[in-house]
Amino acid sequence: MRLLGLLVLVLLAGVFVHASGDLPDRGDPNAPANVHVSPHYLENAGDEVGMPNVVSAVLADYRGYDTLGETVVILTAGIAVAFVLIRRPRRQ
Amino acid sequence: MNERTDSIVLHFIAQYLMAPFILLFGFYVLVFGESGPGGGFQAGAIVGSALVLMRLTEGMEQSRRFLSSRGLLLIACAGVGIYAGVGLLALFAGQPFLDYSYVPNGWVNAFAEREHTSRALGVLGIEIGVFLAVAATLTLIFDYLMERLSDA
Repeated sequence: MRLLGLLVLVLLAGVFVHASGDLPDRGDPNAPANVHVSPHYLENAGDEVGMPNVVSAVLADYRGYDTLGETVVILTAGIAVAFVLIRRPRRQ
Repeated sequence: MNERTDSIVLHFIAQYLMAPFILLFGFYVLVFGESGPGGGFQAGAIVGSALVLMRLTEGMEQSRRFLSSRGLLLIACAGVGIYAGVGLLALFAGQPFLDYSYVPNGWVNAFAEREHTSRALGVLGIEIGVFLAVAATLTLIFDYLMERLSDA
C-alpha cells in the first residue's frame, strides 16, 4: 500500500514537472498574466481609485470580493478552532 | 502561564516599552496601507501579537477581564460585518456591491487638496473591518489553545 502511494506521488510529480515546461518564463512581458488587466491597473489605479499604493488598490477595490472572501475564511478558521478546542462540561 | 508572573522587569518591558510601540506601529500600518506597504491583514497580525504578549505576561485571568473570548469573537464578527456593511451601503446608494464611489468626501478633498478620495476612504473602511477580524481571530485562537493547555 505504501509502495502504491509512492508510485502515485512519483507519477504526479512527473506530470507536474512535465507541465511546468509549458509555463511562461518569470517576468516575461508577453505572458498572459502581464497583458490582460495588469497594465490597466498599473496605468489607471491612481486616477480611478485615488490611492498611490497599487497593491492596496487592487486588493481592496478592484478585487474587493476576493478580500471579503479571505476575511470570511479567517473568521471561519477562528470559529472552527473554537469549536474544536472549547471546554465542554464533563459528565460525572 | 495562567497566573500573573511576578517579574517586575518583564512587566515593565512588556507593558511600558513593547506593547505601546507594537500597538502604535500596528495602527500606523493600518492607516498607512493606503499609500505604502501595509493594510488590514498586516496591521491585524501586529496588533494581535500585542494582545497575545499581554496575555502571556499579565496572565489569562487579568487579560480576559479586559477582553474576554466572547468579546473577541464578537469583534471578529463585527469586522466581517463592517466589511460587508460598507459594501452593502453601496447598494443603497445605487452603486454595484463594494463600489466605494458613494462615500461622501467633500471635507476630505478639501483637507487633502486632492480629488477622488471617496474610494480611498471606502478602502480604509474595509481595511478597518479586515483589521478587527484578523486581530481578534489570532488572539481568539491563542485563547482557546491556552484554555486546553490549562485543562491538562
